[in-house]
Amino acid sequence: MAGVLGIYAFEEIWNVSRFLYYGLVAIQTRGEEFSTLSTGNQYIIGEGLPDTLDPSGLKGQAGIAGVFTKEEGFYFDDEISVLYDGSIDVKTLVHQIKNGDKIEDVLSSLEGAYALLVLKDNVMYAARDPRGIKPLCIGGIGFDMAVVSSESSALDVIGAEYSRDIKPGEVVVIDQFYIESVENEPFSQAHCAFEFVYFSRPDSQVFGKSVHSLRKLIGETLHPQDADVVIGVPETAIPFAMAYSGKNNIPVDLGFVRTGRPTRTAIKPTQLERMIGVQLKLNPVRTAVAGKRVVLIDDSVVRGTTMRNTVSLLRRRGAKEVHVRIASPKLVAPCPYGVEVPTRDELIAADNTEEEIARIIGADSFSYLKVDQLKELIGLPVCTGCMTGKYPVSTGSGVYPAEPTGVKTTSERAAEVST
Amino acid sequence: MSMKFLIVGGGAREHAIAKRAAHYYTVYAAMPYRNPGIAHLSEYKITDILNPQKVADYCDEVSPDMVFVGSEESLFHGVSDEIIKRGHLCIGAKQKAAEIERSKAFMRRLLEKNNIHGSLRFKTFTDVTTALKYIEEYAGSIAIKPARQAGGKGVKVIADLQAYLKDEKKDAKKKHAAQIVKDHLSQDLDDQILIEERVEGVEYSLQCFTDGKNIVPLPLVQDHPHAFEEDIGPETGGMGAVSGRGQLPFINKGEYKKSLEIMEQSIKSVKSETGEDYFGVITGQFMLTDKWGPTIIEYYARLGDPEAVNVMAILENFDEICEGYINGSLAKIPAEVKDSATVVKCISPKGYPNQRSLGKGKKIYVDIKKIRELGAEVFYGSVYENGALLTGGSRAVEIYAEGDSILEAGKIAEQATQYVISDWKLFHRHDIGSQELLDKRMRTAQRARDVYQYRAEHNLIGRNIDWIPGIGRIET
Repeated sequence: MAGVLGIYAFEEIWNVSRFLYYGLVAIQTRGEEFSTLSTGNQYIIGEGLPDTLDPSGLKGQAGIAGVFTKEEGFYFDDEISVLYDGSIDVKTLVHQIKNGDKIEDVLSSLEGAYALLVLKDNVMYAARDPRGIKPLCIGGIGFDMAVVSSESSALDVIGAEYSRDIKPGEVVVIDQFYIESVENEPFSQAHCAFEFVYFSRPDSQVFGKSVHSLRKLIGETLHPQDADVVIGVPETAIPFAMAYSGKNNIPVDLGFVRTGRPTRTAIKPTQLERMIGVQLKLNPVRTAVAGKRVVLIDDSVVRGTTMRNTVSLLRRRGAKEVHVRIASPKLVAPCPYGVEVPTRDELIAADNTEEEIARIIGADSFSYLKVDQLKELIGLPVCTGCMTGKYPVSTGSGVYPAEPTGVKTTSERAAEVST
Repeated sequence: MSMKFLIVGGGAREHAIAKRAAHYYTVYAAMPYRNPGIAHLSEYKITDILNPQKVADYCDEVSPDMVFVGSEESLFHGVSDEIIKRGHLCIGAKQKAAEIERSKAFMRRLLEKNNIHGSLRFKTFTDVTTALKYIEEYAGSIAIKPARQAGGKGVKVIADLQAYLKDEKKDAKKKHAAQIVKDHLSQDLDDQILIEERVEGVEYSLQCFTDGKNIVPLPLVQDHPHAFEEDIGPETGGMGAVSGRGQLPFINKGEYKKSLEIMEQSIKSVKSETGEDYFGVITGQFMLTDKWGPTIIEYYARLGDPEAVNVMAILENFDEICEGYINGSLAKIPAEVKDSATVVKCISPKGYPNQRSLGKGKKIYVDIKKIRELGAEVFYGSVYENGALLTGGSRAVEIYAEGDSILEAGKIAEQATQYVISDWKLFHRHDIGSQELLDKRMRTAQRARDVYQYRAEHNLIGRNIDWIPGIGRIET
């Protein structure tokens, strides 16, 4: 999981490093473990959020930056800077580009799911995989800069205007003197459905659709329940709760107050960190739930441990009933395209029915959004690999891949790239 | 025997004017280099078109019934004045009147002094040090321009809306201001740098014939200044232009009327300011802004390029208008235009606009036959002949097409671009004339319209009201 951002200024009077930095902050929700920023000749890597980066020493007319959930998805050396969200054989990519092969030709021979940015010899390349699994859009700032980003919200934050999504299979070449688009043959489309439910910011537009509008539709679709109050788990689940409330005529209330700075608990690497994150994050507001039948909405359940903790907290604050609604389909398989889904034995939904999960987490009822519902609401061809185990890129369709390409360890990746 | 028409200038704009004139007149041309399009339909002389004596000498030689000065630099150098002095009829503003384009500071002062709608706040600087000091202390969202018209070059518009990017922007503004003085140092004006408030919205051009008393407006045209697709990239002189049938779909009648009113007032003000009737062509480069509605960004003392191509191709009574200038009967002659939408696409060599030398002197081939088979037409811009046809570094060729809709005209023009080729990399904008871009213009215009109408309803048009802690309310 990652977020990428590239900025190209057409004149030398600009230094883009601080534009990159603030744009990166806008998409830091896509990966909190590593942050990187490169202006081609110089690069910096921070272990953590973008605020671990100090861009003040960097100067450049063009640059690329990214946030990552693990130490993977970036490659820098004196000649070339590469960033990607997703999975691709970066070693071959770098090797062949350095051999002088055209990027579009290299990409047409490499399998993968990626939003890719390359900076080489003061030329920036922005590419999307031929299935359009990962999002990537382009826009501009006045007459001065072209901006490419995983999410359109980064464009808003640095004052750029969104132009369009980069097309599946398209490589956009951005030079001081031209912007050129080369289109490789697209395959059948499979946009990552999870972008809509979880990854993207609600103020972003991905795959041509408003994330917020879609989340409201999802909220309205969740299984109805007679109750006194609806609450959402901050922050992602709040819009779902608002829409559920409107649809079912149940008041929505402020269920939780966050402690500490905002962070995305589900993508924390260890169980302890996730638990610390959740417990710090969520302090229930007693008067919102005490004596009431509560519908609790969250965006996803992976292992069930944090949800169990949350339900128990609500009961201790006096909730009479707790009905859990999950605004995404159950996860049953890993993602080979760079999203960290735990292995099957760590997924609560893989072996348990909704009734069984309700009992495990201590809720009165429990219900997921169904895959078909989500597909219908999105209305675009989507990848639902993590929800169905069926993948658009052949990794043995329907079969749980033993070694998904996206979950290689850091050291394995590092070793591959450096050889 | 038909009347004689002499055009001064050698670009695509003059090619468009000459081509229209050739429908009615015997055409002569004074141009700085051989434009193959103009050369083909005229008798011509290669001469320094900035030298009033040389141009006027050629006029004496030809003894034309009318002279049309197409290029702004000729006007700035007093070419019209000399032609008139020698007793010829000249359609082209005199030097003093052309000041409305040459000096952006003059233009802003004129609007302000005469209280003309859309008067943006501005400041002029005669030296870079004072400008830099101003930028350091005050400047927010601004446009920084060379005070003297420099072929559209040197203009930088910077939105300064994010506090966290303020330092970067301040730095860029300063570098740009210093660059202006370096690249565009004005020898003939005191003012060097103009800083004006930045406005946003949708741009459009209103081109008019006028004898100073009467005004003959032509259909609205929209230019596309960004170099690359989807309005990304550096500012150019224009990568292409569109016009609907008579009007642009995103500018309403009231806005059109207001724009024309602004131009009428400006033309009158030129007279009161300089004592000269504005006799020639004037183009208002407008923007529909959220602050004022129709707002003048810049004036041109000539037709726009590429906008001239759009209108000249469909102007069906150009001869009546020209003769209206001769007879003093311009008042009775509205422009008659063919009921067609038009699209122009400019093809430029790589290097344009920021490093023109890069794309200079490259061979370029134009298959006119194929282009005409599609129903499109070619206008030559920055090209010259030296054995082969070579690029001059700026917009080389402009392709014109018409149709029942902008969309249809755009498709034809797009198809035709494939017949302009070069060993050097050429580029043009595929998206000009597309539905997506028109939709975007409609949205931007509506956004501006909603805000300026609110401002109008609350009597806020043209007013700036602020409140500063410790100082209180400030109204300007």
